[in-house]
Amino acid sequence: MDTGRFSPRRLLALTLLLTTPALALGACGSDDDASAGAGSRTDGAAAASGGSGDPIKVGSLFSVTGPPAVVGDKMRKGLELAVEELNAAGGVEGRRLEVVFYDPAGDTAKAVDQTRRLISRDDVDVVVGGGSQSGIALAMQPLLQRADKLFMATEGAREIVQPADERPTTFKSTFNDTVILQRTADFWSARGVDTIGFLPDTSGFGESAKAELERLAPEAGLTVQSESFDPTATNLTPQLTNLRRANPGAYLAWTTTPAATTFLKNAQQLGLDRSLLQLGFGSADPAFYEQAGAAARGALLSAGKLPIYDRLPDSDPQKALITRFADAYEAKYGEPANVFAAQAYDGVQLVAQAISASGGDLSGEALAEALEGLGSYQGVNGDFRYTAEDHSGLGVDAVAISEWDGRRFVPARDGLVSGETTR
Amino acid sequence: MTDFLQLTFSGLTTGAAYALVALGFAIVFRGTRAINFAQGEYVMLAGVTAGALHQWADPPVAVVVAAVVLMGALCGLATEVICVRFTRRPDPHTVTLATIGLGVAIKAVVLLVTDRKAYTLPGFSGDATIGIGGAVLDAQALWNCALVAAAAIALAAFLRWLPLGTALRASADDGEMAAASGFSRRSAAAWSFALAGALAAAAGAGLAAVSPVNYDFGTLLGLKGFAAAMLGGLGSMPGAVVGGFAIGLMESWFAGYVSSTYADVVAFSVLLIVLFTRPTGLFAAVRVERV
Repeated sequence: MDTGRFSPRRLLALTLLLTTPALALGACGSDDDASAGAGSRTDGAAAASGGSGDPIKVGSLFSVTGPPAVVGDKMRKGLELAVEELNAAGGVEGRRLEVVFYDPAGDTAKAVDQTRRLISRDDVDVVVGGGSQSGIALAMQPLLQRADKLFMATEGAREIVQPADERPTTFKSTFNDTVILQRTADFWSARGVDTIGFLPDTSGFGESAKAELERLAPEAGLTVQSESFDPTATNLTPQLTNLRRANPGAYLAWTTTPAATTFLKNAQQLGLDRSLLQLGFGSADPAFYEQAGAAARGALLSAGKLPIYDRLPDSDPQKALITRFADAYEAKYGEPANVFAAQAYDGVQLVAQAISASGGDLSGEALAEALEGLGSYQGVNGDFRYTAEDHSGLGVDAVAISEWDGRRFVPARDGLVSGETTR
Repeated sequence: MTDFLQLTFSGLTTGAAYALVALGFAIVFRGTRAINFAQGEYVMLAGVTAGALHQWADPPVAVVVAAVVLMGALCGLATEVICVRFTRRPDPHTVTLATIGLGVAIKAVVLLVTDRKAYTLPGFSGDATIGIGGAVLDAQALWNCALVAAAAIALAAFLRWLPLGTALRASADDGEMAAASGFSRRSAAAWSFALAGALAAAAGAGLAAVSPVNYDFGTLLGLKGFAAAMLGGLGSMPGAVVGGFAIGLMESWFAGYVSSTYADVVAFSVLLIVLFTRPTGLFAAVRVERV
């Protein structure tokens, strides 16, 4: 009589339905926030003061909801700041920038739809931002290339722009994880460490770093032991326990989620030496260290120079630029800027440079040529030097190793690459 | 041996959280025959609230826990209103689907209100750790296990000996008969959801003291808690506790000895195996019916 009761068979069907996406996505979870999908247009705040003529349409995808939202939110803010500044200065080549924004909420299928919409319905001229997740940027890349649109990705994975000859109109304004890992490996190698315990998360961000570190470590004379974890993990003790068996000289965790804090806390509980703990540039947020309390003091960070910009020597060519960006960002949003905001900010500025250099020719081919011909461009995250072979542009000179002193990041001993810039 | 101990302690820490979530599934299932898939999001909501409260006013930990448990119970009542009362035909299937929708909504609201920030709570007894046989046990893990024990005993006693508990069980068994004796299905549902909300809140506060909690943290936890509830036998209180700790320990051992990359698959594999081979779980409480 009671048909509403769950029979085992119905339970099975329901459970399969609910858990399949979780399993398929490596348990990263999928999300369908109500706010996603709706596009929005922002003319920057400076619509009135922009230049004449039709606006240049900048398409943009950032996941401001869904699993990558922590990253996507900052990227969107960085992009808006750059557009606002450019429009206030009279636009680019006399034309105002207009942003067409969509939120894919971490969903690649949704992002592909939105990219098609950007190309066919919104008729954008360039695209900055690949959904705040490397997997999304990778899916957008072929669509934009076919439409001959310049695509400035703000996501990390190397594969987005490699090999450059097959991706002629795709660039990115982010560090290759290779660059950060190379610098990190050199840093530990110089300190006489021979084994690194590596904890990447199971997202694309972590997986890419894992493959890369395992590839380049032997060249630096290092052995790598890796133990992965889910981005929403609440306990990294099993991973650390396993790594400890190999007695590594350093522990490096690679994630963009609060698991960074858990890493520091669990390492402290296991009694590991804090000066051997290090996080990658995805965790360049003071909040992660603050929340770990005493467990964070002395722990290291491998990232750009933004977290320590006010402690850089005055001779550093980037210091003035980062200071201006950090102040403007904080004034506008009332929160400190981070590496993700800077990536999007640099992305827009680079595209603007390219448009000026191409004389307003907005075809993907012309803009790509312009970017490759820029020579050296000082961005917030470093000195961009695009070439026909290298579409990520940043070198190890842009990487800084800093240390958490209990209240803020300060440069670590030998943390900055000094003298000649090396690539 | 030290490593084994360490992995076991680590499994107990996460297992306690799964057990609390599983108890929440159990009580709602007992009271309404529905599955509350918003349970994980309630844990997240409570964790974030506890952390925010600590950051804002820094009251003693006991006050924080009491406050979020009260809030959790109120959220449970709100769930009952939204998912049962506002539903035209509140049969278990409809209620279950409504809780899935509610879970998504809670997650979206927390994302917007907290601006995607993560929150933590200090350990209930500071950052104390206990060394046993070379391995280290976070004192918070003991607190969380104590929360599980207290919750399980209180619930079992409530259902067995208090008249209201008896009425709840009666209503779950035969709602119409219970209603005829003066205890409506709706008050059964309201009580179950309130208890589940309070349990979720206790789990959230306990977890925020172990690791930071943000908007994205409840979904996977909820599904694993569900796996734990199914392993123990949906609706069974001892089953929920055993299931929770079993999944936590299996995960930790698997991560330590087999592969940390695939440790999250453990809970779901267990869930599938249980559903295929023994859908009533270890401690049968689901009445198997032919359809």
